[in-house]
Amino acid sequence: MQENLGDWIVGILVSVLGLAGLFLWAGAQDVEMTIFGLALAGFAVVFVIGLIKRHYDEKDTVHATAKARVNPHG
Amino acid sequence: MASTAAAADSGLPPVVYNDDVVRKFTIAAIFWAIVAFLVGVVLASELAWPQVNLGLSFINFGRLRPVHTSGAIFAFGGSALFATAFYIVQRTCHVRLFGGRALADFIFWGYQFFIVMAALSYVLGFSQGQEYAEPEWHLDLFLTVIWVCFAIVFIGTVMMRTEPHIYVANWFYMAFILTVAVLHIGNNIALPVNIYTAKSYNIFSGTQNALVQWWYGHNAVGFFLTAGFLGMMYYFIPKAAGRPVYSYRLSIVHFWSLIFMYIWAGPHHLHWTALPDWAQTLGMAFSIMLWMPSWGGMINGLMTLSGAWDKLRTDPGLRFSVTAVGFYGMSTFEGPVMSIRSVNALSHYTDWGIGHVHSGSLGWVAFISFGAIYYLVPSLWNRSGLYSKKLAAWHYWIATFGIVLYISSMWVAGIMEGLMWRAYDSQGFLQYSFLESVVAVHPFYVIRLLGGLCFLSGALIMVYNLIMTVRSQRTNPGIEPFSGAMPVAAE
Repeated sequence: MQENLGDWIVGILVSVLGLAGLFLWAGAQDVEMTIFGLALAGFAVVFVIGLIKRHYDEKDTVHATAKARVNPHG
Repeated sequence: MASTAAAADSGLPPVVYNDDVVRKFTIAAIFWAIVAFLVGVVLASELAWPQVNLGLSFINFGRLRPVHTSGAIFAFGGSALFATAFYIVQRTCHVRLFGGRALADFIFWGYQFFIVMAALSYVLGFSQGQEYAEPEWHLDLFLTVIWVCFAIVFIGTVMMRTEPHIYVANWFYMAFILTVAVLHIGNNIALPVNIYTAKSYNIFSGTQNALVQWWYGHNAVGFFLTAGFLGMMYYFIPKAAGRPVYSYRLSIVHFWSLIFMYIWAGPHHLHWTALPDWAQTLGMAFSIMLWMPSWGGMINGLMTLSGAWDKLRTDPGLRFSVTAVGFYGMSTFEGPVMSIRSVNALSHYTDWGIGHVHSGSLGWVAFISFGAIYYLVPSLWNRSGLYSKKLAAWHYWIATFGIVLYISSMWVAGIMEGLMWRAYDSQGFLQYSFLESVVAVHPFYVIRLLGGLCFLSGALIMVYNLIMTVRSQRTNPGIEPFSGAMPVAAE
């Protein structure tokens, strides 16, 4: 439960950071802010995809374990 | 990818630790160590032969220098601190990291993102122009988010502990986390030109700016490079030696006296400047007083070896840790001496300062981290020990030789510079031009480069040794190889 709540809070926090990155990139007036905004948005996308992937990987593992228990020879 | 605490000895239920993040930070620390040392070697070459910068703006000394300092302090040192903080707090509190895996992962990847972005901004020519606080406002804000998350995880873990006692190493880590947060925010209060530009201006100006900067700068040394690494010392030396801390009471006195005194010592960086005399004297007085708690800690670290000195022959990791404590003692004696105003008149702006910094950063920070890493890698990857103790011993001797070359050449160069700059003839004219002092120190710059090369070579040997350790056969899956010896209180 704590893990799930933590995932959601971190996911939302990182998404907000990613949005901020998009805004900074869009209005950037120097090369530093262009790079930072773009990189922050990219970082947020990759990180959140990682969270989603891990969530489904864990679900798959639970399903596979449960299936193996029900049908140990199958 | 998490290890389980051996519960048999303690009688407590087993805990599945989050060692995944510890492993990541350990790898990052090793990687950034090589980067920081390599850039240091390039910079030493540029100082000896300026044409090494090839006329390229992004690798000139001014831009690469903060890459080296931030790489060594925040990337290498910081990653080592994160790794050990998360490793130690779980074990001494007997509880899994607070906040879940996602938060720990965010701290890791966010911190690495900050490091890469900061380095990139330096080589592009963006900087606040404040030593050890070069990142501009947007990077400072991002780091603040990461740091607050770090504080939540660490303090949350301490609050969730199943042990009644908070082990002294955790006190040092908490002082490091909280004080660095205050320092970072206080020194980086700046107004950006607008939110779409990286350029910002600090809210303080003139002497106030200098004082706040060195309040930050010296306490970055005190709380980032000292308090956190003392936490490392108080955990890994007793564990590796298989002995309890020599005096737990002394460790508490060490903690409170050190954190009380360090915070006032910053003005010694501004002797003979526009800063009022009373503030300079205050900084000097507290710096001299700081000698005592520092040596109290050193004695506590060294005396922990009582009855186990023989292990220095067989455990190269412990040898690194104990030598680090020796360098800590040496640096914390040299620092107060250099803070005396009349000594500072000779030493300031010379290479003596660079020698002093490197006896602390190479001898204390890097060596105590190497000691911890040599302990951590077999433990985290469930190996019975290092791939080769002989290679670790080679690392130790090459690195020690490198430090000796580095600091002795900088002492000689620095004192010579100081004496040349103040020498005047019978008619009251300066005896030497600045250029003559630059020419005079050139041989010592070459010796310094050799010292840096030795240190880098030793670190590369360590990397090979650790890779081979991880690739060697796994032992006792799920059980920490060192969990049998429990010299640390509350574990």
